[in-house]
Amino acid sequence: MTDVLQAPGLDRVAIELVVNGVPRRLVVEPRETLAEVLRDRLDLRGAKVSCDAQVCGACTVLVDALPVSGCTFLAVDADGRRVGTVEGLATDGELSPLQQAFIDQAAFQCGFCTPGMLMAATALLEEQPHPSRDDVVHGLEGNICRCTGYEPIIAAVLQAAGGDMPSSRREEVPAVTSAEAGGDPLDPGTEPVESQQ
Amino acid sequence: MIPRFRLARPATLDEAFAAFEAANGDAAYVAGGTELLQVMKMGFAQFDTLVDLKGIPELHGIEGDGGGLRIGATTTHREIERSPAVADAFPALVGLVRSVANTRVRSTGTLGGNLAFAEPHSDPATLLLASDAVLELAGPAGRRETTVSEFVVGPLSTTREPDEVLVRVRIPAAKPGEGRAYAKLAFFERPAASVAVRVTVDGGVVRSATVAVGSLTEVPELVPDAAAALVGADAGDGALNEAIAGGIATLGSLDAVEDLNGSADYKRHLAGVLFASTARAAIAEAVGHD
Amino acid sequence: MRHVVTRPDVPAPIGVPVPRRDGVAKVTGAAAFTVDLSVPGMAHAKILRSPYAHARIRRVDLDAARAHPGVIAVVSAAELDDVHLVYGHAVADHPLIAVDKVRFAGEPVVGVVAEDAVTAEEALRLIDIEWEPLPFVRDTAEALGDDAPVLHERPGEQRPHRGFEEDIRRTHANVCSSSRQAWGDIAAAFSDAHLVVEGEYHYPMCYAYAMEPYTALAQWSDDGLTVWTSGQHPYMVRDDLAHCFDLPLAKVRVVVPYVGGGYGSKSYTKIEPLTAALALRAGRPVRLALSVEEAILTTRGDAATVRLRTAFDREGHILGRHATIHLDTGAYAENSPLVGRKAANRLGGPYRILALDVTCDVVYTNTAPASSFRGFGAPQVTLAGESQLDEAAAKLGIDPLALRRRNVLDPGERPWPKARGIDADLAGDLALAAEELGWDAPLPPGRGRGICLSASDAGSEPITTAIVRVLADGSIVASCGSTEIGQGSSTVLAQIAAAEMGVELDRVHLIQSDTAAVSYDRSTGASRTTTLMGLAIQAAARDLREQLVEWATTALAPDGPAVEERRSGVQVGDTLHDWGEVVRAWFGGAAGEAVGRGYLRRSGATAEMPPFWEIGCVGVEVSVDEQTGRITIEKLVTVGDIGCAINPQTAEAQDVGAAMMGLGMATLEELVYEDGNLLNGNLFDYRVPRTTNLPELRTVLVERGDGVGVYGAKGGGEGALNPVAAAIANAVERAAGIRLREAPFTPERVWRAIQERDAGVAR
Ligand SMILES: Cc1cc2nc3c(=O)[nH]c(=O)nc-3n(C[C@H](O)[C@H](O)[C@H](O)COP(=O)(O)OP(=O)(O)OC[C@H]3O[C@@H](n4cnc5c(N)ncnc54)[C@H](O)[C@@H]3O)c2cc1C
Ligand code: FES
Ligand code: FES
Repeated sequence: MTDVLQAPGLDRVAIELVVNGVPRRLVVEPRETLAEVLRDRLDLRGAKVSCDAQVCGACTVLVDALPVSGCTFLAVDADGRRVGTVEGLATDGELSPLQQAFIDQAAFQCGFCTPGMLMAATALLEEQPHPSRDDVVHGLEGNICRCTGYEPIIAAVLQAAGGDMPSSRREEVPAVTSAEAGGDPLDPGTEPVESQQ
Repeated sequence: MIPRFRLARPATLDEAFAAFEAANGDAAYVAGGTELLQVMKMGFAQFDTLVDLKGIPELHGIEGDGGGLRIGATTTHREIERSPAVADAFPALVGLVRSVANTRVRSTGTLGGNLAFAEPHSDPATLLLASDAVLELAGPAGRRETTVSEFVVGPLSTTREPDEVLVRVRIPAAKPGEGRAYAKLAFFERPAASVAVRVTVDGGVVRSATVAVGSLTEVPELVPDAAAALVGADAGDGALNEAIAGGIATLGSLDAVEDLNGSADYKRHLAGVLFASTARAAIAEAVGHD
Repeated sequence: MRHVVTRPDVPAPIGVPVPRRDGVAKVTGAAAFTVDLSVPGMAHAKILRSPYAHARIRRVDLDAARAHPGVIAVVSAAELDDVHLVYGHAVADHPLIAVDKVRFAGEPVVGVVAEDAVTAEEALRLIDIEWEPLPFVRDTAEALGDDAPVLHERPGEQRPHRGFEEDIRRTHANVCSSSRQAWGDIAAAFSDAHLVVEGEYHYPMCYAYAMEPYTALAQWSDDGLTVWTSGQHPYMVRDDLAHCFDLPLAKVRVVVPYVGGGYGSKSYTKIEPLTAALALRAGRPVRLALSVEEAILTTRGDAATVRLRTAFDREGHILGRHATIHLDTGAYAENSPLVGRKAANRLGGPYRILALDVTCDVVYTNTAPASSFRGFGAPQVTLAGESQLDEAAAKLGIDPLALRRRNVLDPGERPWPKARGIDADLAGDLALAAEELGWDAPLPPGRGRGICLSASDAGSEPITTAIVRVLADGSIVASCGSTEIGQGSSTVLAQIAAAEMGVELDRVHLIQSDTAAVSYDRSTGASRTTTLMGLAIQAAARDLREQLVEWATTALAPDGPAVEERRSGVQVGDTLHDWGEVVRAWFGGAAGEAVGRGYLRRSGATAEMPPFWEIGCVGVEVSVDEQTGRITIEKLVTVGDIGCAINPQTAEAQDVGAAMMGLGMATLEELVYEDGNLLNGNLFDYRVPRTTNLPELRTVLVERGDGVGVYGAKGGGEGALNPVAAAIANAVERAAGIRLREAPFTPERVWRAIQERDAGVAR
């Protein structure tokens, strides 16, 4: 190992992610953020980048069920981990109770904050399945919505919590086998490739 | 956008030093990246290589230490917030990390990164200063220990050598009859002012005190005069009010920095408000332990 | 929510809180915003911006940037001699990229197009510019000084879309425009006064923070120019693009997908001409996606200094108001001339005022340009006007609510001679606010209440068209130029089309905001869409129904029984035929369609200006922490007086969102400049309301059917913002005995006022 590290650091890194339950293997530049990789490489454009400063939460995605700022969290740091995005909330076209609650309560207007808000709320409910109003207020303090004034969002999260929120939406982690990979992930010279689905 | 860089992912400290060296000094260590990547994005810093410390087991985790704590540098705010050991040994720290930033930053940002970055509005630095915490550093030239006041020398400036790694923070056990409290006022992302107070109470009288202020000065500072005002005060009665008033008066001479939170005057005033509440909270806790 | 309905009954699905039609797309991440779009061959642009507030560009060296691998084009004004660089719908003063000099720190100077955005950003660092810094003006006071540096040596050309008729008057080289509103004998009003209240009020420079930063994607082809943009006003953008590139309107296509927040900040043209110019030089489709930091430097709200005097008689009747307003428009006019006009109109408030004289100067400074922003002059002047009513009430010993009741306009009464009469029951609104707030209930110490009103001449110009079609299967396509910016137009306008055609909502498809696919609408702003586009859709539907009845007569009953029009079709004899059947019968096959047209202009119901009055009625209860100066809004009441809530859920949502935004501007938000540089031009330092700022809410929707729009509707969405700062200031006065005249009411400002109060400084 020491030999490798006395050489310059890597300018391409092969990573393996399990995105919404689906294993993905790709080669990224270290500078690429998780939001960039999800949006531009994996075509999952739900997560939005707004403040680009870890303040607004529009880019919130889950890494091993914890909320992170996709705008700043490096894709390489998601290597070997489970990534959850808004696209994974509905199962077989059926909205999750939280998504349905957002619609029922009109918990969005322009909808730009919504994917991040939904993921932040998903993480919150994961930890606190029956939050008080105060828990929701404090849990979502780091997610900005400029349209709604928050009231309907809080109502939606409470509605979802009151309903039968599935105790866990965590995906099983399917193993990434090299048969699914495109190219040798450990060869830093490999151009960015995306796994065949 | 984050500019291009190379990444090294060492598994040991020696590998980390080697990787740093291989970049001819054009390198920086990175943990959660919540500060470093942000400043790189904004164009304020650029490095050929980032050396990721998260893969080094020695730097991570929380251990009880005879009533004290040893917190690895790459331990996240979230891990501290949820640690039973911390809840047990240092409740004030739990309250503090719970109010740092937002859930996302707490999931990834580390204690070591916070201290090493030395942002003048750091919450932990102020409390750790008042708590006599010891910082353990390791570099190619060997290991050393230091204190917060020796470590943080200016805004974004520490005595850490570029290739030195902050390994862990050691927080001494509370003495018998000791109470520690921390409070801040924040109008923006980071605090406008914060105060940490540590006291020991024996026989209903404050025997010793340490007071640190943060966010209003360029670096977190000890305020010995404010601490002295508390010493000897009767923890239970009106004398305490007087002692607190005396302490507040000493804060008037702090070299506060005007920023978006407010003028120097106003920030000194806020420190006084916080001093009053933290002194009371620390003394109450101490009385409980007395 | 409390719902007060006295209007006549309405057909379904009007008045029904049907779920928003963009819901599934928005909660699954499928909704595509401009930032989510890409086209084949697309390249990425980044912009080099001025570090100086005011400077001449001596020399630009682009060679190193051009040589950077992956760079496609590097473009400064010199590379664009075939483009009309200067645009502006009111005053043409804004170059799409700096020409010879820059007028604010952050102004675009060079654009780089590269294969990817990181490469473009790398190339920016290779550009070398030699600057000659010039003296600059920081604020309006400095700008109006005798020897002030001048931003625009030559005044920009006046353009037809300034939204008002009078010529723009320039009383100083740094005055961009000046508006006046006056009536009555102002001298007499003040000489007869029992009490004159006087003061200077400041409204901050704010940033709308639409969460999607400005983004545009431009593509040239043999057919002309296509631009996808996050803008609110596709047609205004189209006009400017046609002008810049000398194209017929028909060759410019502007498409607006979902918009991630607007609040006025995405009105009019922003980065579209620059993006199109870069695409022209690159010979590739180009995407320009700004960061929030850049968006702040692109458009902000107008800061205001309002000097106001109000004359009262002994009973608290307003005799006269005299005001001078300075709006800080920054480096360019943008839409500020119109904001200035509106500020002058709105200063009086919805009160009976015998004499008024308001002058509003829109002033250039070397700061980021200001333009439309939710409220549009009203929040700025309402802080002054409504504060003075409470100041007077205190001095006269009259309850502030009673004082308002005494002065408020009756329904139908005209605020000024040529204006449309007030289409609202303001006394009724005040009573509702008072009831919900518990105006007369006892208060604990350290708490206070305030209730304030505003009325805005809203709706902009009625220049609006719509097309409604019946397809062969009877389903309906409505197409219109209104944009879905989150306000719910995609739901509400479909509801109107469904109600007018008598079909189920899910039979209606709505097409919006693609200038190649829909017909003209002036703008999505000024709270006009439900009202004016609603009327256009209604007119189109009625035109369509008329044709269909005629077609039914021809095709279904050539010489048979009379054709009777029914809600969802026609009846011929005993048989009901839906619209699809009529279409098929007329064409004599299984296909065909009918097209209805709706035109709206200044005539008939919309002849009088403004098209409607937008009412703001807000109550707050606050507490003041005397130690820190921190204000907490404990309770917030909004009364939404909107005539008819086509969709009560989206209508209520507008009020809550607007009031919370007002709360932000009143207590938190302010862009701070120091020596020509913005200190807090990012979301880390520019604080907007969070969940933790949310007070206890009480919302009221009042539907009295008194608006000009469909089923008596009138606009909402801005009203609840306008009086918030004033209501808070008044409540704080009652809580703590301090009078705040400078928003935002930051903890330090409040604390200082408390210090002054305690020091007994005469107020
Ligand atoms: C939105 C936001 C809000 C915030 N609010 C608060 C707040 O309220 N209070 C507060 O106190 N803080 C606040 N912070 C700061 C936050 O606590 C820090 O960002 C975080 O703890 C830094 O940790 P990191 O691991 O991400 O550091 P990194 O960004 O990885 O590193 C920061 C710096 O430290 C160096 N470094 C990191 N680890 C080590 C190490 N072990 N040895 C040597 N050098 C090292 C890096 O080279 C870099 O210079 C906020 C940050 C954000 C983004
Ligand atoms: S975009 Fe990541 S937190 Fe705002
Ligand atoms: S819905 Fe627009 S920002 Fe939240």
